[in-house]
Amino acid sequence: MARRSMFLRILWKLLGASRGRLTVALIALTSGAAVCSALLNVNLDAERKLTQEFRTLGANIVIAPPTGSSEAALADAGVLDRIAALRIPQIVATAPYLYVAANSGSQPVILAGTWFDQVAKMNSWWKLEGGWVSSRDDHEHCLVGFTAARQLGLAPGSSVHLRSGDHNISLTVAGIVTTGGAEDNQILTNLDSAQALAGLSGRVGLVQISVSGTPAEIERVTRTLADNLPGLEVRPVRQIAAAEGTILGRIRGLIFWTIALILVLSLLGVLASMAALAMERRRDVGLMKALGGTVPRIMRLFLAEAGTLGAVGGMLGFLIGVVLARWIGEGIFGVVISARFEVLPITIALTVGVALAGAFPLRLLGRVRPADILRGE
Amino acid sequence: MAPLVQVEQLEKRFGEVRALDRVSFDVEAGEWIAIMGPSGSGKTTLINILGGLEHPSAGRVVVDGLEIGNLGERELTRYRADKIGFVFQQFHLVPYLTAVENVMLAQYFHSITDEKDAAEALCRVGLSDRLNHVPTELSGGEQQRVAIARALINQPKLILADEPTGNLDEANEAVVLKLLHELHVAGHTILVVTHSQAIGNLADRRVELEHGRLARISVPSLAKE
Repeated sequence: MARRSMFLRILWKLLGASRGRLTVALIALTSGAAVCSALLNVNLDAERKLTQEFRTLGANIVIAPPTGSSEAALADAGVLDRIAALRIPQIVATAPYLYVAANSGSQPVILAGTWFDQVAKMNSWWKLEGGWVSSRDDHEHCLVGFTAARQLGLAPGSSVHLRSGDHNISLTVAGIVTTGGAEDNQILTNLDSAQALAGLSGRVGLVQISVSGTPAEIERVTRTLADNLPGLEVRPVRQIAAAEGTILGRIRGLIFWTIALILVLSLLGVLASMAALAMERRRDVGLMKALGGTVPRIMRLFLAEAGTLGAVGGMLGFLIGVVLARWIGEGIFGVVISARFEVLPITIALTVGVALAGAFPLRLLGRVRPADILRGE
Repeated sequence: MAPLVQVEQLEKRFGEVRALDRVSFDVEAGEWIAIMGPSGSGKTTLINILGGLEHPSAGRVVVDGLEIGNLGERELTRYRADKIGFVFQQFHLVPYLTAVENVMLAQYFHSITDEKDAAEALCRVGLSDRLNHVPTELSGGEQQRVAIARALINQPKLILADEPTGNLDEANEAVVLKLLHELHVAGHTILVVTHSQAIGNLADRRVELEHGRLARISVPSLAKE
């Protein structure tokens, strides 16, 4: 019989001989692996899903005429069609804006013409009283910012008459929006209506774009847009990109340090079990050395035992971790986390590493003097 | 032909204690030597040095042409695997391995394992029906017979037995002595540490130690006959 076969036979017996202590070590390893696997799954999957979530929190790229340009507005058909023609998959929504200084009676107010369907996609967090304007072709309704509505005495269902130069329009208030931003002081309506009021048919003031992805991906999309839209300024909304980057970085840091802590705790659990096991194994090691067993040969048995425990703990932990990740994803991030199989080898490698490090007390058995053991010391 | 074992002016000190003090004797191949003496006389220390488990403090020990005092840990381990077969008073079997696996363990550390050979070795000591029993399922005598099979499996030059019947009842003692006698007849060289006069009388020669010194070497009357 080959030595390898005997090696596996002894290994199998070793695993069966100290079931109690090895089970404790296995529980420590599996628990650690489960948390690591869950957090790594969350890290990989939640990051992708959170960047999608972030896209409902406003635009992160703005396209506008160059600063100081004499042009008051830019050609809409051109820029919007060119953006669409680029077919950039990361673009979630594209909303053109044309701002018009108008008057409602004697009160000055800013009218923003836009595409409501796109605004809705990138600002789902806006608080709305009344109804939304669902179609970008609705020429009769408008949304009014909370502050503007209070100043003008408007409520859902009210009519508002706006004048700019020689042009006039009448709109019905569909809803009052609270945004926490400049829109609170504005009236938002269909882009065509704003263009008609301003006498700027076919023109927009700026384009807001919501792009999904990591800060690096957003940077790449910004460069692509800038390269394809010469004469226009394409700039990322730094504070949003930075905030997203900071949140993701913090989540990543939290996950990294939690994994490190969990691995240390697992290691302590394994060390405790292995230290007790080492005491039990002194006699066996003394005997094996007396029979002509070299230290590396004997240690290979114990390290293989620890490695097997690590691999089994890693696999069990991965499976438990997938379930845990789903729970964390739904409970904390509100997203469904799917199993990422690239986490399996990482989890197993980490757990085997912890098991081998935890087997340190067994390595000390190499120092056992057989004569002492056989004498009964 | 040179003796199989040459012990010359052997000394072993544990701190201030002199366990062996200038002991000298030879053992010819095929001899059965009984090492006797009161507790603390240095018998086990002597057998541990011969078995490569302890280093001598001074003097010379040559076994099968190998001066073991000059060997490092690695060479001593190889020496134990190749040339020595141990039988201990406490049997010292691995508790989670079966009888046949305990014998195979010695094969494993020596060269390659052969379950058939290991089983045959156990059959020779009368344990053909106990091959797959773990030590807790065996009587003391059976465990010692497994230890003897293990000691023989690699065809060692020297069998070292430390009180092999010390933990056995009379019936099992007789079985073990019969086995040792058969090994002797088959030409094996055996050194047995013992307090038992019965075993001492079966040996070719008795090496008697007192306070770590060689007191006398005698030939028992049975051997003379």
